[in-house]
Amino acid sequence: MPVVLVMLMASAIGLQALRERGGELPTGADSLLYVRSPGAVQRLALSYKSILADVYWIRAVQLYGDTKLGRTADRSYSRLYPLLELATTLDPYFDVAYQFGALFLAEAPPGGPGRPDLAIALLQRGLEAQPDDWQLYQAIGFVHYWSTQDYAAAADWFGRASRLPGAPTWMGPLAAVTLAEGGNRKASRLLWRQIQESAADDWFRAEADRRLKQLDAMDQIDLLQRVVATFSEEQGRPPAGWPDLARAGYVRGAVVDPTGLPYRLEGSTVSLDPTSRLLPLPREGGRP
Amino acid sequence: MDAIRTEALTKHYSVGFWRPRPYLALEGLTLSVGQGEVFGFLGPNGAGKTTTLKLLMQLIYPTSGTAHILGAPAGSAEVKRRIGYLPENPYFYDHLTAEELLEYFASLFGYHAAERRQRAARLLDEVGIGAERRLQLRKFSKGMLQRVGIAQALLNDPEVVFFDEPMSGLDPLGRREIRQLILRLRDRGCTVFFSSHVLSDAEALCSRVAIVARGRLVASGPLSEILAFQVHGWELVMSQVPGPALECALKEGRVLKALPLGPDRYALDLPLGTPPERLLGDLTAAGAQLVSLNPLRETLEDFFVRQVAGATSDRGLE
Amino acid sequence: MSAIRTVGTVAVSVFRESVRDKVLYNLVAFAVLLMAASYLIGQLTAGQDIKIIKDLGLAAIATFGLMIAVFIGIGLVWKEVERRSIYSLLSKPLSRAEFILGKYCGLGLTLVVNVVVMVVAWYIVLAYMATTVPPEVRAAWPAPATDLGMLRAVGLILVELMLVTAIALFFSTFSSPFLSAGLTLGLWVIGHFNADLKNFEAVVDSRAAAWFAHGLYYVLPNFSAFDIKQQVVYAQAVPASYLATTALYGAVYIALLLAASVAVFSRRDFK
Repeated sequence: MPVVLVMLMASAIGLQALRERGGELPTGADSLLYVRSPGAVQRLALSYKSILADVYWIRAVQLYGDTKLGRTADRSYSRLYPLLELATTLDPYFDVAYQFGALFLAEAPPGGPGRPDLAIALLQRGLEAQPDDWQLYQAIGFVHYWSTQDYAAAADWFGRASRLPGAPTWMGPLAAVTLAEGGNRKASRLLWRQIQESAADDWFRAEADRRLKQLDAMDQIDLLQRVVATFSEEQGRPPAGWPDLARAGYVRGAVVDPTGLPYRLEGSTVSLDPTSRLLPLPREGGRP
Repeated sequence: MDAIRTEALTKHYSVGFWRPRPYLALEGLTLSVGQGEVFGFLGPNGAGKTTTLKLLMQLIYPTSGTAHILGAPAGSAEVKRRIGYLPENPYFYDHLTAEELLEYFASLFGYHAAERRQRAARLLDEVGIGAERRLQLRKFSKGMLQRVGIAQALLNDPEVVFFDEPMSGLDPLGRREIRQLILRLRDRGCTVFFSSHVLSDAEALCSRVAIVARGRLVASGPLSEILAFQVHGWELVMSQVPGPALECALKEGRVLKALPLGPDRYALDLPLGTPPERLLGDLTAAGAQLVSLNPLRETLEDFFVRQVAGATSDRGLE
Repeated sequence: MSAIRTVGTVAVSVFRESVRDKVLYNLVAFAVLLMAASYLIGQLTAGQDIKIIKDLGLAAIATFGLMIAVFIGIGLVWKEVERRSIYSLLSKPLSRAEFILGKYCGLGLTLVVNVVVMVVAWYIVLAYMATTVPPEVRAAWPAPATDLGMLRAVGLILVELMLVTAIALFFSTFSSPFLSAGLTLGLWVIGHFNADLKNFEAVVDSRAAAWFAHGLYYVLPNFSAFDIKQQVVYAQAVPASYLATTALYGAVYIALLLAASVAVFSRRDFK
């Protein structure tokens, strides 16, 4: 009898492994959410609102990670906003969900869905619950700065943030710099450096780190582009590759980006290695 | 003051949800039990014995009529202090041990810890529960549970004890022990009221009985009165009875019936009227030997069956 | 013997029975395991570990407590009547009211002990969490990991559980466990929709229906009032007056249910 039990259990385990390898059936688009409507979910949650909010938050983080790493079929991040909306409906004080949403909803594809409007909508809902939370104002300004490139609006939101209780001292100067030199890498660097120093969460800090590296990369690309232009002028032909430039003494050592991947040189164009995680680089030049 | 007194105690149940009809469990029971008596409350199954006991314990409420125990209304706190009750087929908390159960019940009387332990131990000894008293009740057999039930009924040295089928589940040895216990209780002055459908127990123990059938009191009084102790014949057991002498006696009608008990051994039913001495003399002269001579009296069972059959036929097609 | 001591004796007996009940042990063990597991779950949440552990802990205490309250509560009286252990019990100097109150207090005691065990396990996990995390991160938390303020939520959860117990006990005095469980849980669920009942007129045209719903809102127990879990996790202010009024509301409702239970039980014939 025990032998039979062991064999049956082994078969069950084996079949489960087989199923996993074969891949599960494609799930419906909304299966992750179970309930679509925030109003309904609030009612159904009974006294479990916080824990359900946490569940939706975890799913949002996982969804983002999986999509970014290419593990899901759907690359549109389409469920990111609904998940975050549900999480914040259940728990209106869920700061990190708002911030995460602000950062990643607005990010352009393939890093994110590229929906600054949704990011702002999410943050506005947050403001309804916490009208004095300076971090939400900062986040809205952030979205304007980075995604819609509306530097005037960004400066306005940073300014509002700076006047709220608990706002850090650098918020005011940030507003001013944004107004004066929006789009300027100096202002951007300032913003990201502040976030890198003050962020409470690892992923936030990591993101700030990445953005700073992007800015460094942009500086480096500009520099390398000038070097290539000088070479072409002086040598009368475009360089054949980095070794060419190195032999001629225009560059020294390895020509790598801040993550350690070598830059590419095609003709006269310097660019990042396509696999670099710093891509896509932010656009420059904003709207007035 | 009577130990127990009921006046026209009646219990109707409403049976059925849509058109409730009354079901008569007990009708107009009036009886009294004196202090120190052992009172048998007899009847067939479904007669209303358990209903009466539950009314006396106020587990159910009467439709009409009254019940008093030791002069106070049944079910009052004062009464509960002075009585003990053993329900039919008792069930107790099976996660407790016998000791723990008795100590728990004892604590409801307000005894201190030491006294509780002492009483529990004493009663468990008295009902014959030894080392098993530390086992959880779920491991007890029916007979052992019955003994625990009796023990818990006696915790407070009650003046009146109510037993519902006290012998149920006990083997012959157990029954004997409990009979002796009941007699001991009587000797101590305790009033014992027990209901049973086993008549031999009542015959052996009771001074007075009541018989109920189909919810009504059919007879009550001292056993001696009820049974009238009338002799209605004789039973003569003889051995080495010569065949012809026997046949002759049968033909003459001096022997009503001859039941063979073995080779040449017979139990002879003799009619009332003629004294048996003459037949005894004749048979002895013919060579037979006397084994026993007993008067035949009506037993409780005969009386019971007669009364109950009568009551049942009264109820007719109800 | 005084009524209070009698009630206490019955209560201790109920408590002893529940302590010996294996199902209860398994439930509490599971709850404690869940607390420990929440540490692992916290790893999934991109830095929100402490919030998850707090949320999960409170939810687990509330849920396991609810299960204990309902599944023991529905059998409290019914089991005794059904198995007829009540016959011998009520022949002792114990009134039916003392019986009911004793049963209630016994289960209440059981609940308190179980909740305390779960809370201790929970705080241990929280304290451990706090030690594994660097000070800057700790500084950013809205409230410390082992914030004793969360006990206010636990307190109200306890009042809620005592109310659920009283409801279960009330049904147990006259209906079978299956039906009692359904009715008790049903009331618990409906008690969370109170807000909807109040605003019924916005949804429905009939004035009579709206009035009825409004009436129900006041009469039915309002369970959502006991839920301040979210507030304490963010260490938000909960006025003492709110705590006092809500607890008092619970106490009054409990008294009502106990009185009703005693009334029903006192009139019953036991089969």
